[in-house]
Amino acid sequence: MLEVENLSAGYDGLQVLWDVSLRVRTGEFVALLGPNGAGKSTALRVIAGLLRPTAGSVKFAGNSLAGLRPAEISRAGIRLITEDSNLFLAMSVYENLLLGAYTLRHRKRIDERMEMAFALFPVLKERRKQLAGTLSGGERKMLGLARALMARPKLFLVDEPSLGLAPRIMMSVFEALQSMNRQGMTVVLVEQNVNATLSIANRAYLLERGRIVLEGESGVLRNNTQIQESYLGLS
Amino acid sequence: MRAFSDLRFSPPALAALALLIVAGFLIDDEYILNLMIISLFFGAQAMVFDFTAGFIGIINFGFAAFLGLGAYVSALSAIRLGLSPWLAMWLGAGVAGIVGWLTAILTLRLSGIFATVMSWFVGLTLLSLATALVPLTRGSLGLSVPPLLEAAERRPLFFALLPLAALIYAVLRAITRSRVGLAFRAIGDNIEAARASGINPSRYRSLNFTISCFFAGLLGGFYAHFVGILTPEIMATSHTVEVLALAYIGGRGSLWGGLAAAFLVIPVFEFLKPLFEIRLVIYGLLLIAVMIYVPDGLAGRLARLRRVA
Amino acid sequence: MDGWALWDLFLTGLLRGGLYALMALGLSLVFGVINIPQFAHGEFYMLGAYFAYFAFFTLGSTPMVAILLAGAAGFAAGALIEKALFGPLRKRGGADWVMNTFLVTIGLSFVLQNGALALWGANFRGITGYWSGSLRLGSSMSIPLDRVAGFGLAIGAILAFWLFLGRTRTGRAIRAVAQDETGAALLGIEPNRIRNLAFALSTMLAAIAGGSLLSLNPAHPAMGSEALFKSWFVVILSGLGSVGAAIPGGFLVGILETFGSYFFGSVWQDCVSISIIILILLFRPNGLFASDVRGIWER
Repeated sequence: MLEVENLSAGYDGLQVLWDVSLRVRTGEFVALLGPNGAGKSTALRVIAGLLRPTAGSVKFAGNSLAGLRPAEISRAGIRLITEDSNLFLAMSVYENLLLGAYTLRHRKRIDERMEMAFALFPVLKERRKQLAGTLSGGERKMLGLARALMARPKLFLVDEPSLGLAPRIMMSVFEALQSMNRQGMTVVLVEQNVNATLSIANRAYLLERGRIVLEGESGVLRNNTQIQESYLGLS
Repeated sequence: MRAFSDLRFSPPALAALALLIVAGFLIDDEYILNLMIISLFFGAQAMVFDFTAGFIGIINFGFAAFLGLGAYVSALSAIRLGLSPWLAMWLGAGVAGIVGWLTAILTLRLSGIFATVMSWFVGLTLLSLATALVPLTRGSLGLSVPPLLEAAERRPLFFALLPLAALIYAVLRAITRSRVGLAFRAIGDNIEAARASGINPSRYRSLNFTISCFFAGLLGGFYAHFVGILTPEIMATSHTVEVLALAYIGGRGSLWGGLAAAFLVIPVFEFLKPLFEIRLVIYGLLLIAVMIYVPDGLAGRLARLRRVA
Repeated sequence: MDGWALWDLFLTGLLRGGLYALMALGLSLVFGVINIPQFAHGEFYMLGAYFAYFAFFTLGSTPMVAILLAGAAGFAAGALIEKALFGPLRKRGGADWVMNTFLVTIGLSFVLQNGALALWGANFRGITGYWSGSLRLGSSMSIPLDRVAGFGLAIGAILAFWLFLGRTRTGRAIRAVAQDETGAALLGIEPNRIRNLAFALSTMLAAIAGGSLLSLNPAHPAMGSEALFKSWFVVILSGLGSVGAAIPGGFLVGILETFGSYFFGSVWQDCVSISIIILILLFRPNGLFASDVRGIWER
């Protein structure tokens, strides 16, 4: 479904990604792992159209995304959740969710999606009249996820959802992602927490300093010595 | 003031000054001489305006009102106190400078566009005061002002304005090339960074406003005694916009750009009489075009060409 | 001072206030959503008056139709101008956006004002009245229907706009773009189109204001200047942070101004107003009703 080939990108002359290639098949749960500053977020931003690559291509369902505006890429069925979720802080939880369903037209479908979002994250239902700016960090992440789900995206790009979250909340977020994936949504998850990620993802790529250094099935990667030493704290 | 490290003129400026002097002597046509006075007058205004807009990055949208303030103070002190117009001008400058300083104080807590709007409000207040205080200013009826010179000939008047304009240019240029000028530019570029480097934006903003309003008032004083009849219209916002347009077409931050633009635009409009009717439309279109396509103005383009060559 | 005179002043103030609120709403919208300090706002008010005049007088439309046509023309003009002027500026990007757009709107204001002068001349184009007759209130009070209708239209437009912004999908999208443009784009909302819409809506509101008051304020090219000043006055006073604050702000200014005019004389009233706003800004630089959240909507 998603084909990234030889992607290079950077900011203001500083190159961050070097010749990155990845493939995600429909229905897969793929993780993009790596240390801080490896360029994982940058990769997602390029796919979502927020950053223009200097070289390489991104194809979604066979169509090239080159030159498309972020809103167009969104409408094609891709949803990116950024690190800070880009919530509309002065609007209520309910309104944020409604905006998530912007591309949907039928009132009934929107209501259905809203119910599903509330089922997935009951705390959002409780706080639905509250302004997004008054939510806690974990609640904001949940809102960001729920909002992006409202339009039933085909491809879900999630950038470090666990950052700043208590382990318990992190687990529920991960479970939510897993359940969405089981319902047919393709997920690309960027994370620093290798252990938890490898237990829910099918495959993973390891990005270090802007280059893909390792790729493979989660099970295989778990047993990889490099991963074990550098990221799992085992030796 | 430690600013006057460089009161000389650069070669191009000297050449321009020489050119103007020669032209002033050679040209006999009253009409053309008058045009030169007007161009010089607007050009000088543009320079003074640019001193604020192009350096500390704030648009003094009440600029015309400060000029008008200087005009009225000068006129009234000549009428009521019997001061010679040559002295009265400087009194006008002084008062305008003080009010400029007060305005700066008012806008200190405001940033960018808010400071612009506030200075606009101050200008509007001055305008409405001038219109309202009829016993003093005769409001819209017009104030009859003692002339600068007895004769109505243009040439002496041109040579009355030229030293003023030259002085203004020399002083402003010296300041902008000094450490004070560097501080101005730093504030205009990035006020937070300037503050972090130890520059006190408030102090420099006040200084800048005081100086520019002082010179605006001086030019206003000249205007009053040149034109002979003073109405509050001189303070109108549209007048500020004309000056602003010249400054931006010429190139903000260049000082001389506005002067050059004035000498280009004003005579052209005169010679194309039919266009004069929609002069302001063209000013507007020019301003729009410049802001969209050539934001650096003439001076900026010239600088870029020089760098490439 | 007798009760009826007071009441009359209050009503006049209310009518003025409604007009100011409408204008300030439009200005707030532009500044809040697109971050453009609109200095040509008054000119769209002027255009609205002219459009309504031509529709009513020349085409012979009914008052409502004339005003609606003025609004529609204002909308169209705004949409075209935004695309032509601010699109290219946006591509240029950069730190000077606010100042650059400010200057472009100044240029635009010049073009529109003097264009109107060149096209239609300096004469005042007025109409004696849209609707004849008056509304009787009690035994000794009557208000001309035109004033009532003008006020009603202003209130109606404000209400409609309020509901639009607060409860419709597009209104929500506008608020979203104002708060977090990236977030909005990531949900499929096209920021450029929303901005174009916001600008067109603001010019439409100004045009409706100009059109509805045609019988009270005849159309002439320079009429935008005062409207511009009043709009900015209200917006700065109320605080730029919120579109909603412009509404009570507008009414407040309208009423205070009418009373001020009566007691100080209209000639001094400007000085007094400005002195007041200078004082207020000294202590509350963000305006009276300002808030910290940079959203354009307050609850």
